[in-house]
Amino acid sequence: MRPYFADLPKTALGAAYWLFAVYLLLPLALMTAMSFKDASFIAFPITDWTLNWYAQVLQDKQFIEASLYSIGIALATTAAATVIGVWIALLVTTEGIWGKAIIFALACLPAVVPGLINAISMRIFIRTVDIPTGTTAIILSHSVHAVPFVVIMVLTRLRSMPANLVDAARDLGADPFVAFLRVTIPYLMPALLGGMIFCVLTSIDDFVRTFFLGGYKPTLPMLIFAKVQGGMSPEINAMATIVLIVTAAVGLYAERLTRRSRN
Amino acid sequence: MQPVVQFENVNKYYGALPAVDGLNLAIEPGQFVTLLGPSGCGKSTTLRMLGGFEQPSSGEIYLEGKAISHLPPNRRNVNIVFQDYALFPHLNVGRNIAFGLELKGLSSDAIHKRTMELLALVKLEDFAGRMPDQLSGGQRQRVALMRALAPDPNVLLLDEPLSALDAKLRQQMQIELKTIQRTTGKTFIFVTHDQEEALTMSDVIVVMNKGRIEQMGDPNELYSRPRSRFVANFIGQSNFLEGKALSVDGTVATIDWNGTAIRADVNGTQPAKDSPTTVALRPEALYCLAEQPQDRFALKGRIVQRVFKGAHTALTVDLENGAQLHLQLDPVALSHIGTDEIWVGWRERDAVVLAD
Repeated sequence: MRPYFADLPKTALGAAYWLFAVYLLLPLALMTAMSFKDASFIAFPITDWTLNWYAQVLQDKQFIEASLYSIGIALATTAAATVIGVWIALLVTTEGIWGKAIIFALACLPAVVPGLINAISMRIFIRTVDIPTGTTAIILSHSVHAVPFVVIMVLTRLRSMPANLVDAARDLGADPFVAFLRVTIPYLMPALLGGMIFCVLTSIDDFVRTFFLGGYKPTLPMLIFAKVQGGMSPEINAMATIVLIVTAAVGLYAERLTRRSRN
Repeated sequence: MQPVVQFENVNKYYGALPAVDGLNLAIEPGQFVTLLGPSGCGKSTTLRMLGGFEQPSSGEIYLEGKAISHLPPNRRNVNIVFQDYALFPHLNVGRNIAFGLELKGLSSDAIHKRTMELLALVKLEDFAGRMPDQLSGGQRQRVALMRALAPDPNVLLLDEPLSALDAKLRQQMQIELKTIQRTTGKTFIFVTHDQEEALTMSDVIVVMNKGRIEQMGDPNELYSRPRSRFVANFIGQSNFLEGKALSVDGTVATIDWNGTAIRADVNGTQPAKDSPTTVALRPEALYCLAEQPQDRFALKGRIVQRVFKGAHTALTVDLENGAQLHLQLDPVALSHIGTDEIWVGWRERDAVVLAD
């Protein structure tokens, strides 16, 4: 590749990058370090280390319940968004469908509408059609938000799919449904897995929509927010560290999975 | 014998453009039939209509006497080898071949047995566990062929399956395809724009142009008795001698060609006296002599260009009557010629009158 800014010394470019990396990682490192500090006061120096905060978190019924609740919402969201997303992607790639550009643009809209606007409008909407705040409302808004990511990932994969594959399946005796199940779905798998994991992560991470549409039962971000309101403590650090590690692991696993099935 | 495939007045229009125009074609079982023509001649559309991926605008297609135009691809007992093979990338070689067998509801033992049989036919027994992207082009080609043969179709359709292979491999696959066709006794319908492929493998060649059949026959007949200028040009090369018919005596016509009376086979046509008539003459059917022969027909000429082609040499000769001919001479014939002043002739049965 052509070196850009060739007149700048390479060390300066490298140094600038590492400065950014430090800025990126330092807060996370601090948070993690503090979760191991054997004192309830968050500041340096750390003289004694402990795992007590983690033990406390894992015994915290509120934390466990909120985590399970978040995971449940994420799974329901993923299921709904995947079905709708694949449907739209198929629709957009089908020949002879009118208004494909409009369908695609509408499907992507939720990705660019600010979360706050989305949340407020959903709040007004559910009040109008008499859906109570709570689980259903949260899943509805998370799903709408997640659909564009599934559509875009599946569409990219679908466009790279040779048209002959489905023809070959039909030719060998598969009806359209069997051809879809046995050829199209396996071909889409890397994109599907990637899209699904993305759905799970964005749903678990979502605060704004949940805040506006949730009932009395807190999801994980809401619980952490409520706890922070009562003052920072190493226990919150431990919770956040657990969330960080789990989500990073899931994300990396998804990346590996999609890359392997792509090769 | 009842034809295995029959097209009856089949038309296919894309908008107002005819891709296939009034096609009538009957194919005998067990033959290697090639649909040959330039791109856009309707050969692929014909194949796709037979496979069920296109519907005729009008007319009917029969498979073993039954009308099939209304049936979807999965309910026709024909299988296609696609141009880019279309192997399922997520299934290994064995599962690819088994795909059609599984859908037929065979037992897993029967599927395994048949898959291994087919792999043995192309010597790929050890590759059953490989994924398609771990195969070479030739191996993929063979797997695609076996996958299409697996469900035991009445007719196997091949859509330019050799076009992605390099020249050497292509020749090897031509022989292999022909051998497999003989061994299995199946009807193969092969689509190509490559005349050499068609000549090598076919029992019957159907030359298509602009959605219509130009001529149909065995390779030898098509090559030596082209009926139209298009066929004479598309299969091999030809000299076209344009003149006026003088007389017809049985199967031999005499034609005034630039003031020279030449004789040619009427080739099924009936040229009227004084009508413009074209004669086709293969470059390799011409003989070339240093002296004027006493016993044979020959015209005096002068070599104006020699192009060495390896196995033969291409000569361009200007004749005394003002016409020009292209010749192909093998090295032995060439060694008998001294100077550029020569005599050129041909046997009258090698010159054929064209219908257009």
